[in-house]
Amino acid sequence: MLRNILIRLLQAVLVLLGAALLVFIMLRIIPGNPAAVLMGEHADTAVIEKMTKELGLDQPVHVQLIHYLAGALRGDFGTSYSLGKPVSQLMASAFSNTLILALMASAFAWLVGIISGIIAAVKKNSILDHLFMGVSLLGVSMPVFMAAMVLQFFFSYKLKIFPIAGTQSFAGFILPAVALGWNSAGSVARLVRSTLLEILEEDYIDTARAKGRRQMGVLILHAMRNAMLPVITMMAIQLSGMLSGAVLTETIFSINGIGRLAVQAITGRDIPLLQGTVLFSAALVILGNFLADSLYHVLDPRIRKEA
Amino acid sequence: MRKTTTLLTTALTCAMALQASCTALAAEDGVLRTAVLYDMTTMDVAKTSDNYLVPMNVFDRLFETRKTEGGNAQIVGSLCTDYQVSEDGLTYDFTLRDGVVFSNGSELTASDVQYTFERLLKAGQENMDIPGEVAGAEQVISKEADTLEGFKVTDDLHFSVTLSNPNAGFTAELSAPAMSIVDAETMEKVKNFGKAPEDTIGSGPYIVTEWKTNDHYTLEYNPKYWGEEPSVKKVIVNVIPDANTQNLMFQNGELDLLDLQSLDTAIVESTYKTMYESQIVSTPKVGLTYLTFNENQEYLKDANVRKAICMAIDVDTIIASLYNGNAIREHGIIPTGIWAHNDQLAGYSYDPDGAKQLLSQAGYKDGEVAFEIAQDSAADSNIKLVCQAISEQLKAVGIKANIKSYDHAAWLDLRNSSKMDSFVAVWGMDYNDPANIMYTFFGNEKNTRQRSLNYPDTATMERVSAARAVMDDTTREQEYQAIEKKLIEADAVWCPLFESLHLYCMGDRVESFTPHWAGFSDFYAADVVLK
Amino acid sequence: MKLPNRSRQIAEEFEKRQQEQENKQQESKQQANREYLKNQIAEEETFFTLIRRLARENKLAVVSFFVILLIILGAVLAPILAPYSFSDMDLLHRLNPPGAQHLLGTDEAGRDILTRLLYGARVSLLTGVVPTVMSMVIGAILGVISGSYGGWLDALIMRLADIMLAFPSMLLAMVIMYMLGDGLINVFLTLALVNWASVARIVRAQALQLKKTEYVEAARVIGVSRTKIMFRHLLPNCLPTLIVLFTLNVPSAILTESSLSFLGLGLQPPAASWGLMVNAGRQYLYMAPWVSLVPGAAIMVCVLAFNFLGDGLRDVLDPHLRK
Repeated sequence: MLRNILIRLLQAVLVLLGAALLVFIMLRIIPGNPAAVLMGEHADTAVIEKMTKELGLDQPVHVQLIHYLAGALRGDFGTSYSLGKPVSQLMASAFSNTLILALMASAFAWLVGIISGIIAAVKKNSILDHLFMGVSLLGVSMPVFMAAMVLQFFFSYKLKIFPIAGTQSFAGFILPAVALGWNSAGSVARLVRSTLLEILEEDYIDTARAKGRRQMGVLILHAMRNAMLPVITMMAIQLSGMLSGAVLTETIFSINGIGRLAVQAITGRDIPLLQGTVLFSAALVILGNFLADSLYHVLDPRIRKEA
Repeated sequence: MRKTTTLLTTALTCAMALQASCTALAAEDGVLRTAVLYDMTTMDVAKTSDNYLVPMNVFDRLFETRKTEGGNAQIVGSLCTDYQVSEDGLTYDFTLRDGVVFSNGSELTASDVQYTFERLLKAGQENMDIPGEVAGAEQVISKEADTLEGFKVTDDLHFSVTLSNPNAGFTAELSAPAMSIVDAETMEKVKNFGKAPEDTIGSGPYIVTEWKTNDHYTLEYNPKYWGEEPSVKKVIVNVIPDANTQNLMFQNGELDLLDLQSLDTAIVESTYKTMYESQIVSTPKVGLTYLTFNENQEYLKDANVRKAICMAIDVDTIIASLYNGNAIREHGIIPTGIWAHNDQLAGYSYDPDGAKQLLSQAGYKDGEVAFEIAQDSAADSNIKLVCQAISEQLKAVGIKANIKSYDHAAWLDLRNSSKMDSFVAVWGMDYNDPANIMYTFFGNEKNTRQRSLNYPDTATMERVSAARAVMDDTTREQEYQAIEKKLIEADAVWCPLFESLHLYCMGDRVESFTPHWAGFSDFYAADVVLK
Repeated sequence: MKLPNRSRQIAEEFEKRQQEQENKQQESKQQANREYLKNQIAEEETFFTLIRRLARENKLAVVSFFVILLIILGAVLAPILAPYSFSDMDLLHRLNPPGAQHLLGTDEAGRDILTRLLYGARVSLLTGVVPTVMSMVIGAILGVISGSYGGWLDALIMRLADIMLAFPSMLLAMVIMYMLGDGLINVFLTLALVNWASVARIVRAQALQLKKTEYVEAARVIGVSRTKIMFRHLLPNCLPTLIVLFTLNVPSAILTESSLSFLGLGLQPPAASWGLMVNAGRQYLYMAPWVSLVPGAAIMVCVLAFNFLGDGLRDVLDPHLRK
């Protein structure tokens, strides 16, 4: 099993390297001199030329690539053009916000998704089932930015329960987390429902049902354990979706996170910052997938035997 | 069912606790909470000309431009208490205020001023033009000399500055935030000045105490400040990169001072002019919004086409609808609020039929004239709407003006390459002198190319350049106005649009607020009085 | 996890059942193989019988189908139906509420929202369909090559897919969009580049499965060339999966386009795109909610319809993908 995990780790590293290369290639094709943006509208050509040299933008591409890869290995992504600080430092402070946001959103998604999934499965075809499934499909179909906008409007602007923006208090994270988790909650609920239904449709359930409600609960618990595997895999897949959604929620709620940094990097044509944030998100996804895969191996006895 | 009730109760309690924590967020006494759209990149004026909030509040300058009761901008002494100019207009003798200390306790002397001048030149990046006028600046820039030849320190409180050319606007220039006086001793010690709050040592009313990048920064009252103690003891500047979010935060009571500039005028009109009418402060944003013409472009090289465009744009309707009247119609180059501004300049008035006639007389078929308006995607929403309105109005006289959006960097690149057909932009005046706009756009061939204007008349450009050195104010004013008349009425070099009013809204905790004289977004926190 | 005695009994019973079910599945797989063979001979299901089956099993999908048809109709007939031109500005009537003159009100530049909604439907439908078709073609071809050739080609394509899938789709789209610049064609290219990898993976898995069927093995034994097997046998058999994937990817492409436009990275005004309209109207949410809520609702309805239809089609076409 250890060997298996090691191979996976090696693969993950290779993919990460490929991702780094891809980001570099994509961002080198872009026309426009970042130095000109950096120096502002009042700068004249001589000043811009000097800055171009200072940033190493006049060097051949392969030299720039080597610098970039070597830097990335050390966790050094250069200095942000638009914010004037080391990219790694900016990402470190932004990451904590994104992490809190993603964790809270996941917690929301799990809690709401699993509970409503179980209820929907147990009360199959009842009004509750239809309601939950309808809402969950709505969640999957609702653009994250719409959810965020509407939540912000009602709970912050109208009801004044939460702050409009910022993360100076914990309360500032709640609405963005709900907006972000809403989508995943829908998918989790649908998955839990269909997995449970498959099990609950078996005829021996009737026996359990006849024996009393307590056993029914135990059964659901047991069934849930089996349903957990696909849910874990799904959460790993959704990590990527969450990082995508974070771009929008962080922008709308003005949270200094990785997603908003990426948006700022684009508007500010800040290549080092864009490189850093995109690569960092990719690394997170790769890590998430690797962990989920490994966990799967540890949890699922069948796969373990095969290995 | 009981479980649901418990769950609900818990949720409610949580919500209430949260609400309590929100109210706990409400400001303490003496704190001013405000927001900016972009975080600053540095607090060092040698490296930026964009973020002046910290330099303006943490440092002092020799002079300040302040608004008088009548609304005129006036140059007043700050660190400089007295000065004399020699007959030839070249040499200035300055006297410094006695007893001024930096926030680290060391005294502010003439050598600090000298250091300030020389540092900007040696850094060779931003804001070099003002110290660049001092005799010997070239040698310092090229590293041939270590000190400025034209800067003589007599003693701690007295020094003289000799310029290489006379410049009547010199003291006005010295009031620009760029000329913030730094502490020579600190500067020698610190690396990367402008990045760390603890290194940012000035003599102004505030100290930077905290800077959380991309989140917020904090200014606190400097107890060693030589002047009057301000009402605001602490300023929290939140970085909120979205005007709409700022708007909602203000309405929620999370901000005490809101810059309404980037907010759509429809919101300003419907929300702020009604709900917060008495709390609005307005000041002209001294500067000009203009539409440029590239004289290398196929059609725009014809002065008739340029004039027709000027006549086809209904600026008054744009002001009335998109700006709700919060702008002043401009007809020339030197905007209202700058001392050589010409009220009498007629310029062009809206006349679509005249424009059509002019085009057909010049031999153009309907729909033949076409050019591209390049739009900076980072421009605020009002400017984007202006572009769209202009394009629609030109369509009505048979001119195709396609809007193409470029992201900020590509836009700058294209403009600097002198190949941009046309664009709409705002030029904000840095100091109260017409040279700041005339010379920047029409001072020489390089300047006009860099803004994609490609104005071909070198004789006129030489006149613009020479006008800087005229010492007599009246003669200088006449010369600038004569050139302006030629550029606008004979050459139609650009289409002047308007000068917008800059509006701010004070929160319930603010008693009064005096904006920067030129309507900058950056402000002096000492000019805010809390209730 | 240790369960109490009584419940362990149930658990054991449960596991036994599961074992049985697995055996059953094994059998049904072989059954499926036989069916494949039969299907090749038997007449293919026509479009209409399919629709009929869909109508019988899933009413919601049918409703959705008609909603989509309505949107398509609106988009195609936009120049006829729209009361105004999509870029016509009426500066004196900005942010007018819905009324007789403007059924859905006007936006921040005094443009008719109904008109822009109809034109925006074109953008949304096109960005839903065109890039999805592009990504499916790329993904299907690469996937089937990967699955049938194997070896280094397979490894190369799959690692490339891994790399693409490592990026959160929104961030990847942002970078590609940034690289290409804005404009409709670039939005198409971006979405196609972002989505091909997952298609390739699924098609590859299916191709691998199909490769093992007796039918394909038989074809190989007879000496049918690899290319022929790929395009004559493997790809057509992936078609049901591809159709289901299509209905799943269309709404996600629409959402991504609207998110990009929302961030100001997609189309630029005066072009009409629903995401762009939501973004432009966002600042007026509390004073003129229709400006952003109307296009927002349009996105939701459109995506929801595609999702329902996709669900329905999946049930009919490909029971394996039911989850």
